[in-house]
Amino acid sequence: MSQPVDRRGFARLVAAGAASAILPAAGVGARSRVLRVGEPVEGGELPAREASWYRRLEEGRVECELCPQGCTVADAERGTCGVRENRGGTYVTLVHSLACSVHADPVEKKPFFHVRPGELALSWAAAGCNVECKFCQNWEISQFRPEQVRATYLPPEALVDLARRAGARLTAATYSEPVVFWEYVRDTARAARAAGLLPTVVSNGYIREQPLKEVLPLLGAVKVDLKSFRDEFYRDQIRGRLEPVLKALEVIRAAEVWLEIVVLLIPTLNDSEAEVRDLARWVKTTLGREVPVHFTRFHPTYRLTGLPPTPVATLERAWRVARAEGLEYVYLGNVPGHPGESTTCPGCGEVLIRRVGFQVLANRLVDGACPGCGRAIPGVWR
Amino acid sequence: MSRRLTRRELAALAGGAAVAGAVGGTPSPAGGSGRRPGVVGVAALAPGEGGRVDGAAADRAMAAVLAAATGAPSAAEAVRLLLSPSDVVGVKLNCLGGRNLSPRPEVVDALVRRLVEGGVRPGSIILFERSSRELERAGFTIRRDGDGPRCYGIDNDWDRTPSESGAIGSCFARLVSESCTALISFGVVKDHDLAGVSAGLKNWYGVIHNPNKYHDNHCDPYVADVVRHPFIAGKLRLTVLDGVTAQCHGGPAYRPDAVFALGRLAASTDPVAADLWAWRVIDAERVRRGLPTLEGAGRPPAFIATAAGRGLGVGDPGRLAEVEA
Ligand code: SF4
Repeated sequence: MSQPVDRRGFARLVAAGAASAILPAAGVGARSRVLRVGEPVEGGELPAREASWYRRLEEGRVECELCPQGCTVADAERGTCGVRENRGGTYVTLVHSLACSVHADPVEKKPFFHVRPGELALSWAAAGCNVECKFCQNWEISQFRPEQVRATYLPPEALVDLARRAGARLTAATYSEPVVFWEYVRDTARAARAAGLLPTVVSNGYIREQPLKEVLPLLGAVKVDLKSFRDEFYRDQIRGRLEPVLKALEVIRAAEVWLEIVVLLIPTLNDSEAEVRDLARWVKTTLGREVPVHFTRFHPTYRLTGLPPTPVATLERAWRVARAEGLEYVYLGNVPGHPGESTTCPGCGEVLIRRVGFQVLANRLVDGACPGCGRAIPGVWR
Repeated sequence: MSRRLTRRELAALAGGAAVAGAVGGTPSPAGGSGRRPGVVGVAALAPGEGGRVDGAAADRAMAAVLAAATGAPSAAEAVRLLLSPSDVVGVKLNCLGGRNLSPRPEVVDALVRRLVEGGVRPGSIILFERSSRELERAGFTIRRDGDGPRCYGIDNDWDRTPSESGAIGSCFARLVSESCTALISFGVVKDHDLAGVSAGLKNWYGVIHNPNKYHDNHCDPYVADVVRHPFIAGKLRLTVLDGVTAQCHGGPAYRPDAVFALGRLAASTDPVAADLWAWRVIDAERVRRGLPTLEGAGRPPAFIATAAGRGLGVGDPGRLAEVEA
């Protein structure tokens, strides 16, 4: 199960001589400060460094070009995500190297079912998100500003060091929304690659094409939450739009990076048979039938507490519809022990990877292929 | 457009009854009187050396606007109409603009003195902002205990779960949801790049955990939806605006070339009317400088009309009554 990387772990980093670090102050005024690796940061002055992907406008405003929200931000104000701030015409990120959640999770928890089964991923997040899902499971970090969340100063090299100590061969930017800490993701992916680790990202896919294309070559796998196949849902339930997410999925699929998709089915909002069918058809025709799609179970939380958990029968119906449409790897999530958690060979029907919850009970793949019929199963197996 | 009424004319309106019909749903304070929908009391208060004001002048101006805003014969009586001695009174300051564009400590002190004079216990007055750091930057001293008025930031003390109000869903500061029984908005008069105006109503964005989510569509209807939440609307007794200096452009941050000496202190029991007044004086200065009005600049503060539509006050400029105290 997941192992939280606690303050003692951070303290060990410091004691091990991970050294103090100075955040660059250039262009961001006098508010940057010296932080030590593992130092807690809460409520006080946040370190800042100049953000990527913005342009200066007239009157000291800036326009953020990182995600489709396209925020125009006046001096002293922040964008929708709450983590990028205009300081006198220079746009800064306030979350680089400020990890608010760090765990060594099974890769199945992301979930990645076709990426190094049974291994650990050093999983971390910084505060903030560029949308507001009313059903967010991690809203206590994603929907708050960085100064409202307890964080620890962990630059990329420190995260990689923690991964090694935890025995994790993967890193995963996850929990909140990695798009809004793009610079931290990029730099950690570079450090992870240099250390021989596989960097991965778990995202809502709400990102513009250029920033996405720039970071993709550094990544080994991406999981995208496709929250619905209806634009109306995106507007009403998450304050975003569908089309940019579909575009991002196409860009990811065209790159040399493994892609898995998660669809959280919410009773009455996005669980109709017609919507699931449309979604499955689009995935098959646009991305390919071998892209894994996970239908996961909703539990009431945050602003959506008036709906019941998704009935298992609804998930099973979605599974049948998607398989009938031709998707080869369809999974069910948040229903521990269900056969829909396991990987089956589309060729001969043999169970290849048997899972319960986030645990792998058996992995029968041989060199990434079915031992029964020899069919190659796509994924990142090594 | 609005017109200015004299104190005498206002007295004839018998406690605001003539316009009260326009304000359906406006919550009543404990005393149930003192509310004057549409009325904004305004007094001269000129900036002195370094933009500071004289304490005695601030006292006089504060007394005058409280009386004018409520129709009471004195400031002490005004406070007694709006608040009871058992109230815990939260005064939300807007200190985003730092020392140059925040309510002046000496003007806030004048309000505190008038509240105490009107029977509020000093220890039951809490001056607050989002963070203690912002208060300190604006020149306030943090005080969390003792017999006198408190002054501290919300500092991440939020409700554990969000509450819904129209289009917003937010965790409110426990200061407003639990601790305070009465609230006062103490803002400034400034332009806002997105909302159009930042005065008394938008000041309440500072008591929710996620204001950055509600900046689209010129903050409309979100500002109104924050203020109409029972945590605010059910407790809001007064809006005070430090207009000693104001900013007509480039807000919400301080911008020296857009600041002007307005020389006014304003107060109203009607939070919508207070913002209408701020809009009017900002537009007047913009026109004087050859700038387009806020509407012409594409950012009319539409949330003001929305707030009026939500029953929070008078949003019709023709019914704004500025009472020169
Ligand atoms: S990353 Fe943040 S600031 Fe940039 S456009 Fe998206 S929400 Fe706005």
